[in-house]
Amino acid sequence: MSFYNGILNLTNWAGNVIMPTIGALFIALAVVQFARGYHHLYSTWAYGGLMCLMVSGLLRMFEKFTGQLGWNNPDLYWNSLLNLVDWFANVILPVYAGMHVAVGALKFGGLFEQQVHHQFNHTRHFLGAILCLMVSGLLRLGEFFVTKGTAGVS
Amino acid sequence: MAPPQLIADFMRLMLLLAPSAAVICLVLAGLSLRQGSVPDALVGGNFAKWMFWAIVFLTLPQLISWFPSFGVPASLPSGGIGTGWMANLQSDLANFVQNFVLARLATCFAAFFVLRAILDTVQGGHPLPSILGAMFLLAIQTTLNLINSYNSGTSYATADVLDSLWNYLAGTLCPIAAGLAVIGGIWNFVSRRPVLPMVGATLGLLTVSSIWKLITTMM
Repeated sequence: MSFYNGILNLTNWAGNVIMPTIGALFIALAVVQFARGYHHLYSTWAYGGLMCLMVSGLLRMFEKFTGQLGWNNPDLYWNSLLNLVDWFANVILPVYAGMHVAVGALKFGGLFEQQVHHQFNHTRHFLGAILCLMVSGLLRLGEFFVTKGTAGVS
Repeated sequence: MAPPQLIADFMRLMLLLAPSAAVICLVLAGLSLRQGSVPDALVGGNFAKWMFWAIVFLTLPQLISWFPSFGVPASLPSGGIGTGWMANLQSDLANFVQNFVLARLATCFAAFFVLRAILDTVQGGHPLPSILGAMFLLAIQTTLNLINSYNSGTSYATADVLDSLWNYLAGTLCPIAAGLAVIGGIWNFVSRRPVLPMVGATLGLLTVSSIWKLITTMM
């Protein structure tokens, strides 16, 4: 028994066993929050659930950020922050922009928004009921995205 | 003039008991790991204090080798303890520490720490410090072997061990702790607590050596 093995196995267990399981709970909670109309809350749970599925990937991402210079280079921390900012600005924000273009297009036609927007009461309840019945499918969809995402966006 | 047999045997007794004292220091270090927050315990806290004393006990002969340079003649007696009852006392105390304190007592403390981790969670606290304490207590023998493997046997042995432990912490344990920091960051995100400190900590844990280089370059 060594401390190294202990902390290594603890991290692996927490990251690869517990977090994906908790992630399923988070996605289920996101569906419940959506059905109750808490649109400012459900996205946090949904993103949290997705991140729970990619703990290892996030760690590899940070390792990539911090592995661009030598371990004894004094500029490594600055370079890591630079890589983080670069990734956020040039990878995440364009994806976010694409998402907002889609949302903007949906909102452009007001009538269409009246029928499908989650704030619209009866639609939200029906959609909430459908999502409640397909939580497992949503989780599998998240897992599919995470698995396929290892190849990067193409 | 050679010292009397009793004095020489007493010195041998003290030196032979030093590893047992180191074991007790490591047990106390494991118990201290749970007091306060982990950063407080690790650097400048009781954990650091007991770890330092464990290293001092394990490198005692090398530390004493400095004494002649201060003008104090301190030649260490070699060989085993000649006085029968003292040899028995040393053997009994070493057995007590090895078989009772290390093998049984430390394991019991670790089990209680696991229980405390659950109770900490019930109270809304964090279970990690108790779990780390339990792991440290269960791994005392391995930690002892690790420290012994870092002992260079020179007059600088104490500093060499501290250097090597820092390298081990920065190069081996901190990257693993970064994985725990990522999990903490996700947890903070979901529970609507600040995420950026965890992001900064993850980057920091992966670049400890580089930050040390940065500080030395600034100097």
